[in-house]
Amino acid sequence: MMTCTSFRANLQPGNADAASLDHLRHCDGCLDFAMNVDPDLFFRSLGGEELVPPGGIDAFVGDVMSQVRVHDAEAALAARHNVSAWQRWAIAATVAAGVTGATLAYRYEHPAPRVAQTLQSVSVAQTLQSVSVAQTLLSVPRPATTATKSFVETYSSHDATIVEMPNDGSGTKIVMIFDDKLPADL
Amino acid sequence: MAAEVLRMIATKETVELDDRQLVEQIRQGDDGAFEMLVRRKTSKVYGLCYRVIGNSEDAKDISQLVFLKLWENLEKYDATYAFDTWLYRMVTNVAIDFMRSKQSRDNAVNSNLRLVKTSIDPEQTVTVARKEVESVFNAVSNVLSPKQKTIFVMSEMEDLRSSEIAKVLGCRESTVRNHLFNARKLMQAQLKRRFPEYARLWEESR
Repeated sequence: MMTCTSFRANLQPGNADAASLDHLRHCDGCLDFAMNVDPDLFFRSLGGEELVPPGGIDAFVGDVMSQVRVHDAEAALAARHNVSAWQRWAIAATVAAGVTGATLAYRYEHPAPRVAQTLQSVSVAQTLQSVSVAQTLLSVPRPATTATKSFVETYSSHDATIVEMPNDGSGTKIVMIFDDKLPADL
Repeated sequence: MAAEVLRMIATKETVELDDRQLVEQIRQGDDGAFEMLVRRKTSKVYGLCYRVIGNSEDAKDISQLVFLKLWENLEKYDATYAFDTWLYRMVTNVAIDFMRSKQSRDNAVNSNLRLVKTSIDPEQTVTVARKEVESVFNAVSNVLSPKQKTIFVMSEMEDLRSSEIAKVLGCRESTVRNHLFNARKLMQAQLKRRFPEYARLWEESR
C-alpha cells in the first residue's frame, strides 16, 4: 500500500491512479490534503470499499435463496395449471356449443307468441240516425291499465236510445246506449 | 501423499470456479453454485445499489430483486460476454427503475434539505470529514437523473472506464462522457448552493 508521503508527492490534479485512489479511500489524514490539490477527488474518496448489506452477507444470501425457492415453487405450480392454446380453443368451442344448444332448446319449448290482428267491422243500423262503427280488436292481451273507469250498474232515462245488437249465437249480449247526459268517459 | 495433493487441487478448483463456470453449473441445476455466485457478488451488487439509491434498506431490497432476476434470466446470459458487465446491466436497470419511481415522490420533500449549517465563516478553514462526504453526496446527487447518478457512481466510485460503462448501459461512450460532464457540473452547482463551505475548495483551486 502506498505511503502518505509518496501519495502526497505523486498526487497531481486530474491524475489519480488506482493506487492513489486506494490510498485516498483508506487514509483520513490525506483526504483533506487531496481535496486542496484536486477538488474533483471530493466524491472520488467514496467507494472502493466492500459494502455489506444490513444483517450481514449470510442473512442476505439466505434471504435470496429462500426467495428463489418460493419463485421456483410458484413457477412449478403455474406450469401445472398451464393450459395450451389448442386446449383454450377446445374449451371455448365447448362453451359456445353448450350455450347455442341451450338457447335452441329453450326456443323450441317456449315459442314466441305471434301477433294476430283481427279486424272486425260492425255496422249498426239505427232508426234515428245511421251510424257506422268500425272496431279493431287485437287478440294480443294488452297490459292492464291502472286507470279506473266509471261504470253503470242500473240506468234509467227517458231521453236515452238503447240499441240491442243482434245475437251472434255465442250467448253474449251487446247493448249500446246513446244519451247526451251520460258522462263522457263512460 | 500425491493423491492427497491432487484432491486438494481438485477441491481448490471446485471452490474457485470462475463466474462463467458457475453459471454453467447453475444451468445444469446446481443450486449450490447459485448460492456461491450470490455470495461472491453480494458486495459488488449491494455496493452499487447503495451508492445509487443512498439508502441501505432500499439497496438491500433492490439487490435481492437483482439476484432474483438473475436467477430468472440466467438462461439468457451469453458466455461470450463478461459476466460482470451483464450483472451490472441488470443492477443499473433495476436501480434506475427504482430511482425513477422514487425520485418523483421524494423530489418535493428533499429539495430544501440541508445536512450542514448554512452560515459559514469565510475565514474558517475547511476540514473534510469522510463521513460527511457521504452525506453531502447523498444530498447533492438528488439533482441528478437516475441515469446520470448511475454513471457518476460507476465512474467515480466504482472506477469503471467510460467504455465499460457504455457496455453496461448499452449506449455510446460519448453519451457516457456527456452524462458524466453534466453530472459533475450539476453536482458542483448544487454543492455551491447548499454546501458553500465545500464549494470553496473549487474556488480556491482556480
